[in-house]
Order: sequence, then C-alpha cells, then structure tokens
Amino acid sequence: MDRRANLSGPGYLAFLGAILSVMLLAGLGVQPALRAAQPHSMPQTLASIPDLDPHEALGSKNAPIVMEVFSDFQCPACKTLFTSTNRQLMDNYVSTGKVYLIHRDFPLAMHAHSKVAAQYSRAAAQIGKLEAVEEVLFDNQEKWEQTGDVDGTVAGVLSVPEMVKVRALVKGGTLDAAIAKDQALGQGYRVNQTPTTIFHANGQTFPYAGVMNWEILKQFLDQLLSQK
Amino acid sequence: MMQSSPLNLRRVIIWIGRLILGPIFIYAGDSKLFLPNTHFWPYFFFKFSLATNIANFAFQVEAFKLLPPWGVQFVAHTLPFTEITLGLLLLIGWRLRIWATLLTAIMLGFFVVVTRAYLLHMNINCGCFATPEPIGPKKILEDAAMSALAMLMTYFAFVEARHPHPWTAPASTQTQAQTQ
Repeated sequence: MDRRANLSGPGYLAFLGAILSVMLLAGLGVQPALRAAQPHSMPQTLASIPDLDPHEALGSKNAPIVMEVFSDFQCPACKTLFTSTNRQLMDNYVSTGKVYLIHRDFPLAMHAHSKVAAQYSRAAAQIGKLEAVEEVLFDNQEKWEQTGDVDGTVAGVLSVPEMVKVRALVKGGTLDAAIAKDQALGQGYRVNQTPTTIFHANGQTFPYAGVMNWEILKQFLDQLLSQK
Repeated sequence: MMQSSPLNLRRVIIWIGRLILGPIFIYAGDSKLFLPNTHFWPYFFFKFSLATNIANFAFQVEAFKLLPPWGVQFVAHTLPFTEITLGLLLLIGWRLRIWATLLTAIMLGFFVVVTRAYLLHMNINCGCFATPEPIGPKKILEDAAMSALAMLMTYFAFVEARHPHPWTAPASTQTQAQTQ
C-alpha cells in the first residue's frame, strides 16, 4: 500500500487537527491560567501598583508607561544597566513624561553591603535626593563594596544637614520594612535575579530580567507608545 | 517469507521525534508571539499586539550578545514564525528530511548559544518560551536531549528513505519485487 495515500487520509488529518488543537489550548489557555494562579496578581494601572512610594519614583505619574526596576546596589549588572541604559532612559523618556520609573530594592543575600546601600538610598529618597545617591552608589560600587563604607560614599554628594537626616532615617529602623515590601513584591513577580524590569503599559505587563540594550529598549518603548 | 513489522526502532524514533519536537517548536514560537506579557486569560485578546510582543522578544535575543542590532531584529522577527512552521511541517511529515535537518541545525544552534551563555556566566534568561527561565545545567541538559533526539530523528529519516520497508514501499515497487 502506498504510504502517501495514508498521509492524506481523513484519519491522518483528524490526528493532526487533534494535535494542533491541543497546542492551541496549551498556548492560549493553559499558560495564562497558570499565571493567574500566581500569588500576586499583576497590576494593570499605576493606581493598582502596590506599595508605591512616590519618593522612590521619577517622572510623571501620568506617563503612559510605568517601569519598575528591581535592583541591588552591589550587583554589577545593575550598575551596567544604570550607567549604560537608564541615563539615556531618563533623558529621553522619563524627563519627557513618557515613562514613570519606579526604583524597587531587591538586595540579594549574597552581597554583604547591598542592604545597607538600599537603606541609605531609601533614606535619601525621603529627602528628595534619590537620583544623586543612586548615581554615587553605582559609580563608586567597586570602592564601597570593598570597604563597606556606604555612609562615606553617600556623604560625598549630600550636604551635612542632609546627611544628618539620612543617618537618622537609617538608624530609625523604619526603612527595613519598606525594603522587605519591595522584596516581597519582587517575589510575587517571580524576580529571581537583578536587575529585573517590569513594564506596565496599555493594561499589559511585560517582565524582563537582565541588562537592556538602549537601542532595543528604545524600540520597545516606542512600540508600546505607538500601541493604542 | 514473513516480513518484520513496519514499526521498527528507526520508525519509532522518527515518530517520537516528530511528536515531541513538533509540538515543542510550535509552542515555543506561539509563546513568543502571543504570551510574553502577563495578561490574564482571556483579557489579553483585547490588548494583543504582535509587534509589541516581537519587540519584547528582541530583548531576549540581544541578551546573548551575539548579534548586531539589525541581526537581533531579524532573529526576533523571524525565529518565532520559523519555529511554528517547522513544528507544523514536522508533524505533517511532508519532506521530512529537509525540515528535520533544518530543525536539527536550529536545535544545535540553541544548544551552543545556551551553553556558551552558561560558561560565560551570563546572568540572562533563555528566552526559549514566554516565561523567564534562567540558564543553568537543567536548561542545557534539556537542549542537549532535544538536540540528540533531533539528530537521531534526522539520521533515521535519511536511512528510512534509502531503505523503505516492503510494506510501505509504493505498490508498483512491490509488484516488481514479487515478479522477480
């Protein structure tokens, strides 16, 4: 019997149809259902983003795109993202009101001083100095991670009265709870490495783990902005 | 003389390869095109954008640091469709040797780039499916197993084509064989 006759038979087509149906169900139904079973639901608008501290965010709240960056001040990849991509992002999208950039602390246990750095950054954010402190911590990462002198590094960009306020906030012990909230939120998003960026736009949520190339990020943001 | 069953080991492996790799490739392409965002079913139908999903997949391609920007865009725009097409062709079985060879080449390519990323300690995700999957020994083993299956399937597809089983050979050939 000719094998080719079998391949075009109704049984074979029904078999193929069954397989394709299973694939479509798997692709379109099962995975979103699995995601829906995640402990935290993904926020779709700025209003529904939990634990949003305006001090930890930059840009306009009315921006069409919201980016949450889960970062660790002692992680080299986070430094690369900050120095290579985020500065251009700030100039081209955040300052122009297109992106609302939220800093999320996700200090990893493997880094000895990253939690202290997160505390100083949070304290600085409370007095409106987030950008300056983020910049000095990332720019001098190799120095303070050797010595552990986060305080001295931050003091380099703040005035004496500002530094007094920051130290008081750090010693106050209230910042740990906020950092823990960010970490819990990251675990809800299944963040397993830093940096991880969560994009929210047009009711959609896109997670991305790793350093983003500026050109590719720009194309993605422009695509999101062009989507109605 | 009694003939052996047409379902010999080579054919079984070809079928296993087609039934495993075909759906996996279709699902891989499908997830890149339709599922990179985390919408809840069925809401994402209303917000679906192929261009946005492809632009998002470009992040994963770029993370391997192997291609220039135009190459990243080329792969991001073609790979998901290629995966779906190859998966379908593998299931259909038409011109199996051609598509199995192409699929094997792509699978070996995946294995090489994933292993390279792991050995270079690149802290990136695989980008294989829609969900973030860090590259580790498990992912490398998965790719190695799939590459081995693809190679076996392709090799046996060529062997089978050279030595078709008497039961499955065209009727005219069988008649000729009987008259000789």
